[in-house]
Amino acid sequence: MTLRVLVVEDDREIRSLMQSSLSVEGFAVQTAVTLSEAEALWRHSPPDVIVLDLGLPDGDGLELVKVVRAQRSTPIIVVSARHQEAQKIRLLDAGADDYLTKPFGVAELLARIRVALRHRGTALAPAVTEHRLDDLHVDLATHQVLRDGQPVHLTPTEFKLLARLVRSAGRVVTHRQLLADVWGPEFTEHTHYLRLYMGQLRAKIERDPAEPRHLLTETGVGYRLAAD
Amino acid sequence: MIESTPQPPLPALARRWVVVGLLLALATGAGLALEPHVSLTSLAMVYVLAVAVAAYKLDWIASSVCAVGAVTALNFFFVPPRWTFEVESQEHFIALGAMLVVALAISHLATGLRRETDIARLNEQRARQLQALATELANATSIQQVLALGRAALDAGFAGPCVLALTHDDGHLDRPAGTDAMVHDGLVACIREAAVLGPGTGRWPGLDAWFLPLGEKGHVAGATCERPAPAADEAGREHAQALCALLGQALWRLRLNAEMLRAQGEAHHQQLQSTFLAAISHDLRTPLAAIVGAASSLLTQRDKLAPAEQERLLRSIASEADYLSTVTENTLQLVRLSSPAQSLRSDWESLEEIVGAVLSRVRARDPGRRIKSSVPEGLPLIKGDPVLLAQLIANLLDNALSYSEGPIELSVSAHANTLEVSVKDRGPGLSDAQQASLFAPHVRGDHPGVRGAGLGLAVCKAIAEAHGARLTHRRRAGGGSRFSLLLPVESAQPAREAA
Repeated sequence: MTLRVLVVEDDREIRSLMQSSLSVEGFAVQTAVTLSEAEALWRHSPPDVIVLDLGLPDGDGLELVKVVRAQRSTPIIVVSARHQEAQKIRLLDAGADDYLTKPFGVAELLARIRVALRHRGTALAPAVTEHRLDDLHVDLATHQVLRDGQPVHLTPTEFKLLARLVRSAGRVVTHRQLLADVWGPEFTEHTHYLRLYMGQLRAKIERDPAEPRHLLTETGVGYRLAAD
Repeated sequence: MIESTPQPPLPALARRWVVVGLLLALATGAGLALEPHVSLTSLAMVYVLAVAVAAYKLDWIASSVCAVGAVTALNFFFVPPRWTFEVESQEHFIALGAMLVVALAISHLATGLRRETDIARLNEQRARQLQALATELANATSIQQVLALGRAALDAGFAGPCVLALTHDDGHLDRPAGTDAMVHDGLVACIREAAVLGPGTGRWPGLDAWFLPLGEKGHVAGATCERPAPAADEAGREHAQALCALLGQALWRLRLNAEMLRAQGEAHHQQLQSTFLAAISHDLRTPLAAIVGAASSLLTQRDKLAPAEQERLLRSIASEADYLSTVTENTLQLVRLSSPAQSLRSDWESLEEIVGAVLSRVRARDPGRRIKSSVPEGLPLIKGDPVLLAQLIANLLDNALSYSEGPIELSVSAHANTLEVSVKDRGPGLSDAQQASLFAPHVRGDHPGVRGAGLGLAVCKAIAEAHGARLTHRRRAGGGSRFSLLLPVESAQPAREAA
């Protein structure tokens, strides 16, 4: 079955570039220039992935994310320029799956789409319970974390934090989402908890905590557990 | 009365009668003691002395009463027949009458003299106050200072309560706390008319206070309200006007100074911007030329180019475009940081994380892994904008990669109240002249084929300043440069977790 991508982008050059490079990779590509057009297309035939540019002429995309999230878990990848940080974070908090910062390469776009598809809904993929990359092995079912085959002892909070990232492996998880899921909704402003616990986790899991292989920082946005 | 003191309170009123009584009693006592030795004339002199003292110390009513009392006491105690108010001989009667006239004359002259002395003293005091205020105002550098000095001067010069209010740039008046609507209206009218209002001025004479403008028509900076304001006290009003004129001048001088500084700043800013634009357009044009050249070559000559050559052109387009986006990012950041409305996003951040994120990005340009990093564990958190700090460190590493060949050291170290991030390279280093203008946006190292370091460092400096941090450059022993970012660490670190 061909996977369908909906590209919402108002710049003609970038739109046609995405269309051609995604078509080459075997995706069926639909394009929309405005949010209302995107919403109409989405209602008519829901795509498998949405690539959503920020700063469209008819709105900031938050509405589209809400409309989509109300019905489906279709992955949404937000494409933003540097100065749209706050807007991007708002969309991620509202349920968008990942983001790309302009300018980006085709390889990055494809990697993001691949990860997003891997996580798409429990109907297509079983819930993630295991994570394996290089020297790190995390098994959520048995609460076991191995580094180079050696068990790593984590505190309950450290484990909860790691488990949350494992469930979204490869995708960015915003500060707010992490704080709400690990500490509770009343702690969404306590970013310093994250700084401290991520520091501890890195010290236990990474070979070189200052240049991490697994627990990646998305500066100003959140964290990402490397998936490849 | 000249002095604008209000009616003395009751105890003071009673006290002058006590003084009169005491003086008369003293004179009588002295007379009784001296009586065996001196004549009646000399005794009269003792009373005259008491009258003179009373005239010098007390007001004219009390001293007149004292004069009459002295004659009466002399008559009662000493003039025969003694211990009666009667006068036996005509001579004594004339003597008493003469003495009464003398005593009254002394009391009148002395009070007049005293009044003149008081006026002279008050004038001198006021002149001194004006002089002191002028000196202090000359050194005042802020409106608040002028206001404080003005309040102090008015409070010292007048019994009060005095009110001092300034107009805002938009023309509306600050209503000082605790003033009533009448005072506020008076101040507003005084500023509007740029004239003194109140008793004795011919304008609004029914008021119980004077309203004086600070400054002249056209540039009135505010107004004052002074009490008490007796219509006859022209000297007092003139003094208040002199004080207000000084304050108005000082405020006007401050405003002119501020405008001059603003104009100078603007001129400087515009000059900077044009040199900055010239430098930026150079930094933008060069990669654009490379991209256009490579792309047009591929468009028109693709068939004639060897595959390896085509590949090289494509890579050049990609890397030049990459460079272009860095220049754009730096330019935007510099413009954003130099706008005064810029507010820094500030949260608790971990320098280890920021360094890690920067390294993962910069490694793409560092295939030989020339950058060696060392970040100790357990660093304190800092307050800052992680995106900006990452850009700063990335710029320093980019520069080191472009300007040097050998290894590059990136290290973080903790000091007493600061965290130091330093980037050390073994490049050619900088001359004194280069070092002096290192962080200016339009300066670039004189390296043919390498570009854009000036802009990057200017952004670094702006980011450091926005964080209250210092960015320094030192030449390393044995060649090369060392850039250090010294970030302040707040002593109050956040609590680990809620209890």
